[in-house]
Amino acid sequence: MQLTFGGQVVFILGGTGALALEFAARAMAAGLTPVLTYRNAQGEQKITARLAERQHRYRTLDLDLARPQPAQALAPLRHSPDYLVDFAQGDLENLVAAADDNTAASYFKINISGRFMVVKAIARLMLQKRKGRMVFVSSAAAARPNPGQGFYAAAKSASEALYRNLGLELGERGITTVTLRPGYIAAGRGQQFIDNHQELIKDKIPIQRALTAREVADTLLFLLSDCAQGFNATALTLDGGMSAGK
Amino acid sequence: MNELKTITTLLVDLLDLENDRIGPQSYLVRDLGMESIDFLELAVSLNSAFQVPVADDVVFLRNLRLFIVQAEEAGEDIAACLQTHYPFLSGRRIAQMANDLAAGPVLQVRDLVAYVRFQTHANKAA
Repeated sequence: MQLTFGGQVVFILGGTGALALEFAARAMAAGLTPVLTYRNAQGEQKITARLAERQHRYRTLDLDLARPQPAQALAPLRHSPDYLVDFAQGDLENLVAAADDNTAASYFKINISGRFMVVKAIARLMLQKRKGRMVFVSSAAAARPNPGQGFYAAAKSASEALYRNLGLELGERGITTVTLRPGYIAAGRGQQFIDNHQELIKDKIPIQRALTAREVADTLLFLLSDCAQGFNATALTLDGGMSAGK
Repeated sequence: MNELKTITTLLVDLLDLENDRIGPQSYLVRDLGMESIDFLELAVSLNSAFQVPVADDVVFLRNLRLFIVQAEEAGEDIAACLQTHYPFLSGRRIAQMANDLAAGPVLQVRDLVAYVRFQTHANKAA
């Protein structure tokens, strides 16, 4: 099946992770123009290194959810993006009852409130042309976290709720949202865990393997495509069946 | 710039109404039937059309009744309190609103015009 896209520009929030970069490459291969955000020079270099051969077919934007008023960083966007794919997520692994109060508060401020400000600004840009599609990259851990993932799961769940309501509230004005919950991915932060827990992966996942970055990226591309617009204000789990059983 | 004309055009497009149904004293909710999603889109349109910052809660008087209750409870002058929160409205207009609250939401097209003019002036001053 040939995927078709009614839009052109895809804004990639959190554009420096392995999965985001894979997605950007796949999006460019599909003819889309990514705008990838980064938080620091190191992140910008990661984008350049991964996408160097296509340097005229994407743009970058300095945007850090941790800065005050992060939405102000969107000013260089002259026009509304057609799509938003949100990979942004800080890491905080700790037992809930052991975490430092201020660290937890800061984590939620960045990963929920900061995200809200940016997504709100993009939604308002999309409203100007009554057209837009947002995909939030959540995690299977939002519903089934491991010990130590309480804050990660809480931030993902809260963000899922924001995206769900955006799709609920703005669907009639042409803006739709969907959340994807990937399971274990053989890329980025997940790679080392998978390498060290091969038996666990086979035991927990009915398809007996982790997902590849490529197949998650292609699923995201499908969710942006014209034929997937019926998925709105909902969450889809992509985990090889892991969360279906005990 | 004719703010009223531009805002009327925005409302006509947004609400799919005839131009002659909208005047400066048209109530946005009572007369034009605007709903929350329409207000959101109108805020975006005002920002885009006039290049002024639009604070939804302020321009649409979202907390008007709350401010009145708070002023009453604090024993403060209600008109003065509202003037502080809504500096783009004249004292006369605030008095009209206070007398009109029982009939429903008081926001009129002319209040949007006042907000846009106020913000445009603030932009120039900055």
